[in-house]
Amino acid sequence: MIPGPTALDEMADGRGGLRPHWQELLGTLVGLGTEQLIERATMLDRFFAEEGVTALLPGQGAATWRCDPVPLPIRPAEFAALEAGLAQRAALLDATLADLYGPQTLLEHGIIPPALVYPNPGFLRPCRSLPVAGQLQLYAADLIRGPDGAWRVLADRTNAPHGMAYALENRRALSKTIPEIFRARQLRRMRPFFDTWQADLQRIAPGATGNPSLVLLSPGPRSAFWFEHVVLARELSCTLVEGGDLTVRDGQVFLKTLGGLRKVDVVLRRHDGRSIDPLELDGGDGLATGIPGLLDAARQGCLVITNAPGSDLAESPALAAFLPEIAAHFGMGPLLLPSVPTLWLGSPGALAQVMQNPAQWLLRPALDGVEPPVPLAELSPALRDAALARAAASPREYAASLALPPSVAPCIGATGFEPRPIVLRLFLVRDGDGWQAMQGGLARALAPADALSGRLPRQAVAKDVWIASEDTGDLQGPSAFAVAALPIRRATGELPSRAADNFFWFGRYLERLEGAARLLRTTIIRLERASLSPRETAELRSLAACLQASYLIDDDAARGAGTPAFPRAILGLLRPEARIPTLAAHLGRMLELLRDRLTGEMYGAASQAIRELQAALRAIPTGRGEHPRALAQFSEALGRVLVFAAMVSGLAAENMVQGGGRLFLDLGRRLERARSITSELATLLDEPLAATQAARLEPSLRLALELRDSVITYRSRYVTVLQAAPVLDLVLAEEGNPRGLAFQLLAMREALTRLGDSQGSPLLATVDTILAEARSLAAGIAAAPRQAEAATRLPPRLDALHESLGELSDAVSRRWFALLPEPRAVGGGLAAPEAAQDATEGATA
Amino acid sequence: MIYRMRHTTLYAYSRPVDLSAHILHLTPRSLPGQRVIAQALHPLPAPTRLSTGIDHYGNVVTRLFLEGSHRELEVAAEATVEVGFAPPPAAALTPAWEAVVRTAATAWQVAEFTYPSAMAPYDAAVGAYAGSSFTPGCPVLAGLIDLTSRIKRDFKFRSGVTDIATPVSRVLAERAGVCQDFSHLMIVGLRALGLPARYVSGYLRTKPPPGVKRRVGADASHAWVGAWLGAEFGWVDFDPTNDLIVQDEHIILAWGRDFADVSPMYGIIQGGGAHTLKVGVDLEPLGGE
Repeated sequence: MIPGPTALDEMADGRGGLRPHWQELLGTLVGLGTEQLIERATMLDRFFAEEGVTALLPGQGAATWRCDPVPLPIRPAEFAALEAGLAQRAALLDATLADLYGPQTLLEHGIIPPALVYPNPGFLRPCRSLPVAGQLQLYAADLIRGPDGAWRVLADRTNAPHGMAYALENRRALSKTIPEIFRARQLRRMRPFFDTWQADLQRIAPGATGNPSLVLLSPGPRSAFWFEHVVLARELSCTLVEGGDLTVRDGQVFLKTLGGLRKVDVVLRRHDGRSIDPLELDGGDGLATGIPGLLDAARQGCLVITNAPGSDLAESPALAAFLPEIAAHFGMGPLLLPSVPTLWLGSPGALAQVMQNPAQWLLRPALDGVEPPVPLAELSPALRDAALARAAASPREYAASLALPPSVAPCIGATGFEPRPIVLRLFLVRDGDGWQAMQGGLARALAPADALSGRLPRQAVAKDVWIASEDTGDLQGPSAFAVAALPIRRATGELPSRAADNFFWFGRYLERLEGAARLLRTTIIRLERASLSPRETAELRSLAACLQASYLIDDDAARGAGTPAFPRAILGLLRPEARIPTLAAHLGRMLELLRDRLTGEMYGAASQAIRELQAALRAIPTGRGEHPRALAQFSEALGRVLVFAAMVSGLAAENMVQGGGRLFLDLGRRLERARSITSELATLLDEPLAATQAARLEPSLRLALELRDSVITYRSRYVTVLQAAPVLDLVLAEEGNPRGLAFQLLAMREALTRLGDSQGSPLLATVDTILAEARSLAAGIAAAPRQAEAATRLPPRLDALHESLGELSDAVSRRWFALLPEPRAVGGGLAAPEAAQDATEGATA
Repeated sequence: MIYRMRHTTLYAYSRPVDLSAHILHLTPRSLPGQRVIAQALHPLPAPTRLSTGIDHYGNVVTRLFLEGSHRELEVAAEATVEVGFAPPPAAALTPAWEAVVRTAATAWQVAEFTYPSAMAPYDAAVGAYAGSSFTPGCPVLAGLIDLTSRIKRDFKFRSGVTDIATPVSRVLAERAGVCQDFSHLMIVGLRALGLPARYVSGYLRTKPPPGVKRRVGADASHAWVGAWLGAEFGWVDFDPTNDLIVQDEHIILAWGRDFADVSPMYGIIQGGGAHTLKVGVDLEPLGGE
């Protein structure tokens, strides 16, 4: 819907002129020309896609962030007024929460109705016995400016406000893609906000440790705001953790690191408070993501959680109706920055007031501040009546806010400038006794479908918010943004066990995918030939057996080697649920898990490569009909896998030195590669007939070299004579062959040593035993009078080696990752019969 | 009347538990009408940490944290308690139930118990069932006494047909359940009318007074309902399982919105495999009548 004629224009003064603070900016933009501006808008989209900046907008899956090329300038005097008004609100809401979780004078004196507190799922009763001072450290507000020119608060954000990282990212993206607008302009900097925040995190730490340990507790990469968590952890020098990384011992909270348990002093909470401690709270997936005992630790003062769990209580839309009285109760004077006029429908007369002229109102849940308000004017008469009937049936569950048309600002649309309604989010952080605003913010331009209502945007485009700097000491020119994307300022270099675990498995999955790619490419080369010689047919059968041993194809498909069914089985590996796409998707997820441990460059390059690989895999025709190019395309896509694997090695060597992460990545790859060598060789040498006819072993030996990329090395030494002893020596015992077994074992040895294992440690001893056995296998063949026959007897010993390598992987997990079993709930039942107990559990979990 | 109570809970696990945390509501509250003379908790093995506090409802809550590997956890709760709650006022003196509904909506610390909760969600059918005890203008206590008797009359005490996850709507349909089902049902019914009702967890004396039939729900944790009669008369407890007004045969452990707020013992374990649970309750009068 097009904004009504009453909406205020941020840029135009309504008398045919431009507001002064827009003149210069608009001049620069117009000077660039419409075509150029549309081009820059596309560049901005690309910038965010490449950086992997995502955010979940309400009602959508994770979508790429978008920012408009036109910033929103705010006059310094106007911003100062907003800052003062928001600081008062932050203090007011902080006092409100401290009272509701403390003495509850607001309820006792009837300042706010009990219906705003007790039925609210955000009111966390166990938190009433926590220290209540300093509920809020961070506060944000969503503001709209009405036709009268006054800004008003549409929503208070007191839980875990999001958007600061996006504000930084908007500024950075804009300065790169449209640097012209920054020339000769002095803008206030946003970074001091993070310095203040970090100082406050240090200040609130319990005890006087001097160097408190800070963690940012995130729900993990599944969270829509994972990107922001990564950025905030870096900006604030917090270790980014998930619930499983923390453990409570004797009333204190610890981070599980490779170096043992490390005490945690402050939790910067980005995790839903309702599920943060499954022992005391029963919300959401607390059992899987919460930390049992966390509240007990906070209760006795060994730990500070900020914002306090339960602080979303102050986000209730209906609370806005009572803020003036609450302010008076606390002696805080009149509100400097009022809310959008809001009624709680449980108040006498409120419902009638809304019924009188419904089109004027936005209907909102009384308690849920996240749910978008419904503009009654935009509903069909039938839907409006239904909504009003629901409100009339349980008025205390609803609030209504006046539907003010938000002001509009110019944005770049498909054809050039177009005005769009604006919602402005500003951020404040506690600064000792007061509050400090981020000198900028996050404006969102509503899409046409969202306009008029002022509801949270669905297809919104962000805008950079500019506050001009009056004094030069605060100057920020384009050069100030040219710094690297995400500087790493980690307080402690200790690697959390989970991150090490993830690196290890990233390595294993990467190698698994690379191994599958090599095997499949070798197979596809043979399938592409018009006709196969008997030797090639034998090779194909051996390859089919190897594919089966790697769980890529099943028994039936393997038996079909050489028939037309076989290429179909190979292409079947491209089905979304089949092995290759699954492995690629898994690597993508692992990369997200490791995002906070990778440099921006490495994350960006690797995630883009995975996306491209996935696109290439999807583009291959796999329908029922024969596609002459399908196999060739598959082979090309698999070629990308090999390039990707090499790229990760290169990037890891160049970019990643963080506390052992690379060593675990390497350990995982080497271990997986060693396992494919043993499994592959055991399959290839399983040729009973070769015991009497040595020539029958030749295809296997040739493949053993080809799959290990060792054909050229072999030829340079032995010309073309294929014999078991030199082939197996090259694959099993040759220390200089980077695709051979001995090389992998020596590399594992090196990684383990650098991780701190010393001679004689159980892990090193296992590696040495495996290495000795590999050498002994190769030596045994060389010494045998009939090499081929001796080689056919190797598979059982190779299988045993394969097993030992699997046990080595388990041992690495136990030694380094030592994860505890999953938490489970017990009890919760009365002295009920035994049979009822199972069902009892979970009911209160 | 003075009672000695002993409540033992034993968890046995098929594999060792590495870490466990438990939250207990096993210590009787001190109240007008209930004097706690002595009380103690004996967890075995000894926990690494034990913390005690008062929860939002004023209940005594204990948290146990065990960090050593263990295959069993036994908690014995013992207490000596003197009870003698004041007899209820004459029903006719209590306000009309509609007046109680009006007062309760804004009464601090009372209004909380008028809202649906996780284990006592709103149910129109249960509301209608309760509603027939509250005719227009009926004194609130008269309605409560009537409802308590009706539940006892209309429902069969049968263990095993329900568990803690059984919704009250099914209890109403089946007309059978155990004490916590009847309590939740009565709570849902009262709240549907706008009357404050809370879930009370505690014990009932094991052996009845001479000449009285053995009560249902003894030898186990018991549950009943607290209802509010308005500002003047406050809270009175009703036992719908036995059709009683609570006076001197019950000991109150804790109260909350529903069972989930006052579960006697709830925990999170890591490790442990399968587990079995044994609970024993004994409440013997020591005299003092």
